[in-house]
Amino acid sequence: MLTDVVLIIDDEPQIRRVVRHALEHDVARVLEAPTGREGIDTAAAQRPTLIVLDLGLPDMTGADVCREIRHWSSAPIVVLSARHSDREKVELLDAGADDYVTKPFSTTEFQARIRAQLRRLRLSPASADLQTIDADGVTIDVVKPAVVKDGTAVRLTKTEWEVLRTLVRHKGRTLTHRQLFTAVWGNSYGDAQQYLRVHIRSVRRKIERDPVRPRLIVTEPGVGYRFEG
Amino acid sequence: MIPIRRSLAETHVTLAYLLLVLFAGARGGRAIALATAGLAFLCFDWFFLQPYGTLALTNPLHWLVLVAFLVASVVATQLFERTRTEVALRESVRARDAVIASLSHDLRTPLTTIKALAHDMALSDDRALTIEEEADRLHALVGDLLDLSRLTSGRSLPLHVEPNEAEDLLGAALQRVAAHANGREIRVSLDDRNPLLFARFDFAQTLRILVNLLDNALKYSPATAIVDVRVRREDSRLAFYVDDRGSGIASAERERVFEPFYRPPGVPPDVHGAGLGLSIARALAVAQGGTLDYQPRVDGGSTFVLRLPAVDVSTTD
Repeated sequence: MLTDVVLIIDDEPQIRRVVRHALEHDVARVLEAPTGREGIDTAAAQRPTLIVLDLGLPDMTGADVCREIRHWSSAPIVVLSARHSDREKVELLDAGADDYVTKPFSTTEFQARIRAQLRRLRLSPASADLQTIDADGVTIDVVKPAVVKDGTAVRLTKTEWEVLRTLVRHKGRTLTHRQLFTAVWGNSYGDAQQYLRVHIRSVRRKIERDPVRPRLIVTEPGVGYRFEG
Repeated sequence: MIPIRRSLAETHVTLAYLLLVLFAGARGGRAIALATAGLAFLCFDWFFLQPYGTLALTNPLHWLVLVAFLVASVVATQLFERTRTEVALRESVRARDAVIASLSHDLRTPLTTIKALAHDMALSDDRALTIEEEADRLHALVGDLLDLSRLTSGRSLPLHVEPNEAEDLLGAALQRVAAHANGREIRVSLDDRNPLLFARFDFAQTLRILVNLLDNALKYSPATAIVDVRVRREDSRLAFYVDDRGSGIASAERERVFEPFYRPPGVPPDVHGAGLGLSIARALAVAQGGTLDYQPRVDGGSTFVLRLPAVDVSTTD
């Protein structure tokens, strides 16, 4: 039986209708809110499983809505964003959003993203003690720690290992450059972006089959990186 | 008048009149400023130059005061007019940016709805797929037009230029092109002499350039032909070469392909595009301190070269 409740915060009734139709077979109920304020109130009162948040709200910025909800809720937030707003996407992910879909989106893609978030949510108690990951011929043991590619042990430096472990721990979720950097190095300084890119490149060279066509560490242009698999 | 006259030097009076001329220039335009300059000089002569109460000038140097008034009136009106024009221009640019922003936002909502409805209808009628595809084309076209209007008006897109890595960019470009490459081979070769190929660029916008070049290379070459991407460090530049084995571009057309709306003659009608891609790509390259050029490929076909400012990076753990 379907139990998930999704809240859509969007001032455009047409988009709310599209989202409701797209999700009606996957979730038990879709709640709607036309403003940021009403969205926050509904989220507090109804505690939805997942929140779809539009960026062009009339009363509040998406990042503010996100931050406010994040104070008391860990429900996944999927942002509906526009083109040319990579900065906005980064700001939203930094503010605690889990994923974003760019408008105009295809229904299939949107459904896939929502299903992925709901799946992740259901798996999360188990993934907390996730030990190993097998993907594309690579085995990553998070606890040991060890990486084996095609039966051969891969040697990673301490920093490379930290980068990989951070990505694996948030498998399927895009981490912004800043989130990754803060997780690995503690705080941002001078050439942070540059260091991160150097290490992403060297990890890819060690674990990917073809580092120019990465399948495990995927780039989200202008936003960050995501571990797939 | 006499007591005032006693306490004032001629310089004070001329300065006061000069202020009056400047004020007239600011508020009334050139004709009024010139008239005020003339009148101010007459008043100055009548009331403050001996013999008082006449227009006779005993010292010819006093003509300089008239010249100063006239020059001040002309310069003041010019300066104020220029400021007024600049303010008006800034206003109109601001208004246009607001229109562009709201247009691009407002278009997305109906397009999203159209796409979603077409998607639902496609279950029973596959012609609806065409509606979805056309909505995507319309969206891309509108996006390109808006970008072009921003780039050509000198108000460039917001760019986030920072040190980025070539392999990372190529990976993202190949992933994006893969969807419409239909299994075509894109061969990559990186500069072996430099292990770290870094340049300063905006990742997302440069990705657009590269995807555009790769799409073109696939579109304008035989379905079985390989497309090559080569990355080379050339002194202070990092160069991306995209080679196709198509029919190449005639020498007269080589610069024109970068003009907006230009479509080379003989393009097959099934090849979509409004002819905006390369003009946007070049404008984006230039906006980041780079270049985008064409050169014929030695064994036939075309090579497009994107050059960006290279960055030296050291490997420290």
